[in-house]
Amino acid sequence: MSSQFLTRFAIDPVIHITPLELFKINGIAITNSMLYGVICAILTVTILIITARRMTLRPKGGLIQIVELGTDFITNLLKSALDSEEKAVKYAPYFVSIFFFILFSNWLGLLPGVGEAFRIHEAPLARPFTADLNGTLAAATVTWLLVQYFAIKESGVLNHLKHYFNGSMKNPITLLLGIFEMFSDTTRIASLALRLFLNVAIGEIIIAVFSALGGLAAPITALPFTILELLVGALQAYIFVMLSIMYLAVAVKHADHGEHESDHLTVKELVEAEVGGKSTN
Amino acid sequence: MFTFAEALNMSVLAKGIMMGFGMLGPAIGIGLIGSSFMNAVGRNPEASKYLGQILVIIAIVELMALLVFASVFIIK
Repeated sequence: MSSQFLTRFAIDPVIHITPLELFKINGIAITNSMLYGVICAILTVTILIITARRMTLRPKGGLIQIVELGTDFITNLLKSALDSEEKAVKYAPYFVSIFFFILFSNWLGLLPGVGEAFRIHEAPLARPFTADLNGTLAAATVTWLLVQYFAIKESGVLNHLKHYFNGSMKNPITLLLGIFEMFSDTTRIASLALRLFLNVAIGEIIIAVFSALGGLAAPITALPFTILELLVGALQAYIFVMLSIMYLAVAVKHADHGEHESDHLTVKELVEAEVGGKSTN
Repeated sequence: MFTFAEALNMSVLAKGIMMGFGMLGPAIGIGLIGSSFMNAVGRNPEASKYLGQILVIIAIVELMALLVFASVFIIK
């Protein structure tokens, strides 16, 4: 009886996988995700500039501390991946800004009113930028191109091409594997883009489905999934940045061969530590 | 006279089979990652600092499950 009362108000969930066109400027269609992406980008740049202006030794205010926490986190990731503080500070600006942009896009996409609430000509006014494959594909392509640029700048064109080929170049298998490696490098664009897009878009779909299933009780049924999406949004921003940092680290580290001795040393130390730990147990 | 396929509503069946079997692999994979992480932490508590890497690897495995979920919408 009570379930009937609740489901009486249930409607079919409205799900859009693709962004919809809002209006045209000089023949270029502006979609709802583009509009919201621009809003998110302006917000990210504004917040980061305001924080940078107010940078002091002892940060005051909640917002500045949160931004500093994120910046410090990404810089530490870069430092541990690249084994150099100088390089970490050098590459931090791009990774920090893409991290905050993806984070804001994911989180602002969960606000009430973003989605089906407001419409122009059947098209929702706002749509999270990362729930659009075009947007994430653009972000992944820019990231990949920048990683290639950074790696070439760090080690030179020839050395960068050489890191795809492991072993003697006279061996035909090395050549073949190297070319395969080059092609599989470009698939990272697709995997980065698809991971971010599918996580956010499927989160939107799940929230839509559960609020439709809930009927009158939609706020209660959709709330756990909205909270889950907060976690997923932060996690996906972290994973996007972490994976691109790892790609950069792989491309840069192969360049300098002088580090192999120190690598052996750390492995030896690790083995000794392991053996020592076992004997104490 | 109607055929067996008409009575069965194949698209719903296809969606169910796709979700079930498609989610099976990533579920096993994430379970294996989690179990080996907990094993490693149990043997060596200092290994808990690798939680970030674990989340990245889970995201890589999770992509397969997400692809399955997205493909469900293709079936009409």
